Amino acid sequence: MFSDTFALTARSLKKWIRNPAAIMPGLFMAVFWLALFGSSFNPVNLVPTQIGGTALSPILVEQIKAAIGSVFGGAANYITFLTAGIIAFIVIINMAYGGIDIVLDRQLGYLNSLLSAPISRASIFFSGAFQNFVKAMFIALLTFLFALLIPNGLQLGSGFGVLNFLGVFTAFALVTFGFGCLFTSVAFSVKNVDSLVAIINFLAFPLVFMSSAMFPLGTFPSWLKGIAEVNPITKATETARLLIVNGNLSSGQLSTFVGNMLYLTVFAVVLAAIGYLIARRALKAE
Amino acid sequence: MKTNIIEAENLTKTYKKTVKAVDNISFSVEEGELFGFIGPNGAGKTTTIKMLTTLASITEGKASVAGYDVGKNPGAIRKNIGIVPQELTADDELKGIENLILSAKLHHVQNDAARKKAKELLELLELEGAAQRQVKTYSGGMRRRLQLAMGLIHDPKILFLDEPTLGLDIQTRQNMWTYIRDLNREKGITVFMTTHYLEEADSLCDRIAIIDGGVIKLSGSPSELKAKLGGTILTLQLTDGADVSNMLSGIQDVTEVKKEDETYKIKLTRTETALPAIVENITKKGLKISDITLAKPTLDQVFLQITGNTMRDGSANGDSFGQRVLIERLK
Repeated sequence: MFSDTFALTARSLKKWIRNPAAIMPGLFMAVFWLALFGSSFNPVNLVPTQIGGTALSPILVEQIKAAIGSVFGGAANYITFLTAGIIAFIVIINMAYGGIDIVLDRQLGYLNSLLSAPISRASIFFSGAFQNFVKAMFIALLTFLFALLIPNGLQLGSGFGVLNFLGVFTAFALVTFGFGCLFTSVAFSVKNVDSLVAIINFLAFPLVFMSSAMFPLGTFPSWLKGIAEVNPITKATETARLLIVNGNLSSGQLSTFVGNMLYLTVFAVVLAAIGYLIARRALKAE
Repeated sequence: MKTNIIEAENLTKTYKKTVKAVDNISFSVEEGELFGFIGPNGAGKTTTIKMLTTLASITEGKASVAGYDVGKNPGAIRKNIGIVPQELTADDELKGIENLILSAKLHHVQNDAARKKAKELLELLELEGAAQRQVKTYSGGMRRRLQLAMGLIHDPKILFLDEPTLGLDIQTRQNMWTYIRDLNREKGITVFMTTHYLEEADSLCDRIAIIDGGVIKLSGSPSELKAKLGGTILTLQLTDGADVSNMLSGIQDVTEVKKEDETYKIKLTRTETALPAIVENITKKGLKISDITLAKPTLDQVFLQITGNTMRDGSANGDSFGQRVLIERLK
């Protein structure tokens, strides 16, 4: 089964490497969100220095700024806060739309040639998920590097090292793989691109907006906050932010990190299993 | 005695409980045979192939392929069959050889054996020169040949060909026939093919079954089927309107005479004796022949007689294309 999965994943990645422009739309989306949306908003700039002609005390202004900053997890600026959220957003969108290739494979008859080959249905499903996973993670990496290049952009906390970097991307990998398996199973279940796009728009955007990807949980109404808190996208972004903003973690932060990672691991395993079961049903003889 | 490598008994496929794509068909294919399913689009040919190749479930009846039950042991069947589908599934972005090797991997052929077999097939199908090129640079005929190679890379016992020459020009189609014939005769591969080109079935197949509206109407060897038509058809046009039907019917070896306007359609069992007699009798009466054509029986005529339609008119039950669209939607 592993060699079949590998052969099929390699086929898709080979196509992608020969046509690398295919990732440009995804990458541009991340770049625009970060560089334009991210730069145009900085919450601390909302704090006034004077009201009705009366200057506010500089100490008070600093205190308000610090209070707002803490709502944003202590990020030095909005881009530093937003980078993790945009990466989560971009991987989810890429996994969702990556399903289009799978639907096209069905329409072109390629899927039938796999189904009539002596390979396990699991290898067909997981190769579908892996091919998009690799692309999504590659775009995530480029987005992270780009965020560092934006003037007054992503600012890493002191002590940010290789382990922080690995932690950030492991958190993203888990959330990407989990949701990716779900979206892949949807792609195997529908017969045309229109249905796929309708379903993923219905799933992907609410999932992102019901998380702390764009704005901190502290600003959410309580009903939304309840949902957002258990959303794996929130867990992944919060974990990445913790590592980005703080560099060296305190023991309290470390236990939050471990808890989140466990949560995300369980999430990824459960969704891989659910996704496989859905896909296996869809891949049965018609 | 030869054994049956494919057996179908009362095979029925119903989509969503309403549309019968294949309706209670039975047939068998002997080992080493080149067997053809012929019929118009939407007749149930592809659905039958899909059932035999484990892609579609069987609603009623049963089938065995290569000695395994289709419903119970699909995995074993997949190892033993090669499929060349109607759609071209070779990957445009990959090179010819890469497509072949991928097919080999998916059939668990060892790497060295796969390379060797790929080389052999590329040579056989005259694709050596194109092996290192991306498939998107291939012509229609080259794509079909590559698809054929992909179906053969794992040395299958049975090759399923679904409309193998669809969309090819006459020259390329005839080359394709040669390859298929050679594979069957020289390599001993059993071939199950579908086509809606009657001359293709006539030229290639040992035995054919005519399917229309999901039902097998007739089966046998092409020459058997043509013999059933009762011989050659002579079409005759006279300049004068006098009815000579009775006179023509009286001639020896004439079995049937039909008159439409000035045109007579005459069935002959022995052309060499009947034809001179007909011409002689007409000349004696002082009539002139303005047009005369002689047609050997073709599968087209067999098809016409069985279904009441020519292949070009489509299915006998009227709307076979509609049937196909409906099935696609119901899947």
